[in-house]
Amino acid sequence: MGVVMPRELSVKTIVIQGLAILLLCAIIEIFAGNVLERMKEQLAVTLPGLILAIPPLLDLRGNINGALASRLGTALHTGVIEPKLSMSAELKVNIISSIILSFLASTTIGILSIGVGALFGIQSINVLGILAIAIIAGVVSGIILAAITVVVSIVAYFRGWDPDNVTAPLMATVGDLLTMVSIFLAAFLVV
Amino acid sequence: MAVYSLRRILWESYPVLVLCAAISLSAGLVLDSQMGSIKAFPLILAMVPPINGINNNVCSILGARLASALHMGTVEPKLGKQRVLRKNTRATWLMSIGVFWFTSAIFFGIALITGMGLARSIMLMFAFFAASMVAIAVTMLCTIGLAFLSYVKGLDPDNVVIPIVTSIGDIMGVTCLIIAIKLVMGV
Repeated sequence: MGVVMPRELSVKTIVIQGLAILLLCAIIEIFAGNVLERMKEQLAVTLPGLILAIPPLLDLRGNINGALASRLGTALHTGVIEPKLSMSAELKVNIISSIILSFLASTTIGILSIGVGALFGIQSINVLGILAIAIIAGVVSGIILAAITVVVSIVAYFRGWDPDNVTAPLMATVGDLLTMVSIFLAAFLVV
Repeated sequence: MAVYSLRRILWESYPVLVLCAAISLSAGLVLDSQMGSIKAFPLILAMVPPINGINNNVCSILGARLASALHMGTVEPKLGKQRVLRKNTRATWLMSIGVFWFTSAIFFGIALITGMGLARSIMLMFAFFAASMVAIAVTMLCTIGLAFLSYVKGLDPDNVVIPIVTSIGDIMGVTCLIIAIKLVMGV
C-alpha cells in the first residue's frame, strides 16, 4: 500500500489529519442513525428479524468499498489505472467484481440472518421479505457506492491527496448512510 | 496481461466477507435480544451507526498505519516498548476522544431538543461517551493483536485486519452501548 509516512512520525499530524475526516464522518453517521431510528416500527412490528441483517449489511458495504478503494489507491499509485474518468479494462474488472461481490454477499447475509433468526426462535420471521430487502439494498447501494468510490479515488489522487487515507474512511461512512436509506426504501417496497 | 482478475478478487474476498457477515450478525443478535429496551428508548437505534461507524473508522486508520509500518519494518510484531507503536496508539486515542466527545455532545443536543430534560440528557451524553471509550479500547487491542498475528503468520495485514476488526468493532459497539444505556438510563 502506498501510504506515505514521514520519517519522524508526529502524533500531532496524525491527529489533525485523522480528526478532520473523522468529524465529517461522525456527522454523516448521525444521519444514518436517524434513518435507523425512524425504522423502529418496521424493525419491531412488521419485519421482525430484519435488525439481524443490518449490522452485517452496513459492515459489508464498508468492506467491499474499502477494498475497492484500497485497490484503486494502489493502482493509481503504481500507474495501473490512470487518473481520468474513462472506462479502462482494469477499472471495469474492479467495478464489476465489487458489484458481483455485493450481490453474492448480500444474498448470503439474507440467508444467514434467516437461519440465525430461526435458530434463535425469532417469531414470525418474513423469510422472502428479509431476503429481498438484503439483496435489493445490497445491490442498489453497491452500484451507487462503486461509482462514488471510483470518482472520489480519482479526484483525490488528482488533487494530490493520498487516496489510501481519504477514500476508505469516507466510503465506509457514506456507505453506511446510503445502505440505511436503501434498506429503508427496500423495506417499504417489500412490505 | 491484465493486472486484476475478476476470479481472483471474488475468490479471495468472498470467504472474508462471509466470515465478517457471520461476526457482525452477532451484533444484530445482541440488538434483537434487546428489542424491549429499544422500544422503550428508541434513541439507542440512532446511536448504533455512529458508535460502530466511528469505532471502525478509527481502528481502520490504525490498522492501515500498522500494516504499512510492519511492511516497512518501523514496527516489529511484538508487544513491549516501541516508539512508533506507542505514537500510533496515542494518536488513535487522542483522535477517538476528540471525535467521540463531539458525537456525544451532538447526542446531548438531540436529547435536549427532543424534550429529555437537562439531567437525563447529560447522563445520556456520558453513557454514550463511556460506551464508546470501552468499545474503542477493546477494538484497538484487537487491531494491534490481529495486525501482528497476521503479519507473523505470513498474511498481508492490509487484506485481513480491517474487515475482521470492523466486524469485531460492531459487536463491541452494540454491546457496550446497550450495557451503558441500561446502566445509566435504567431502561
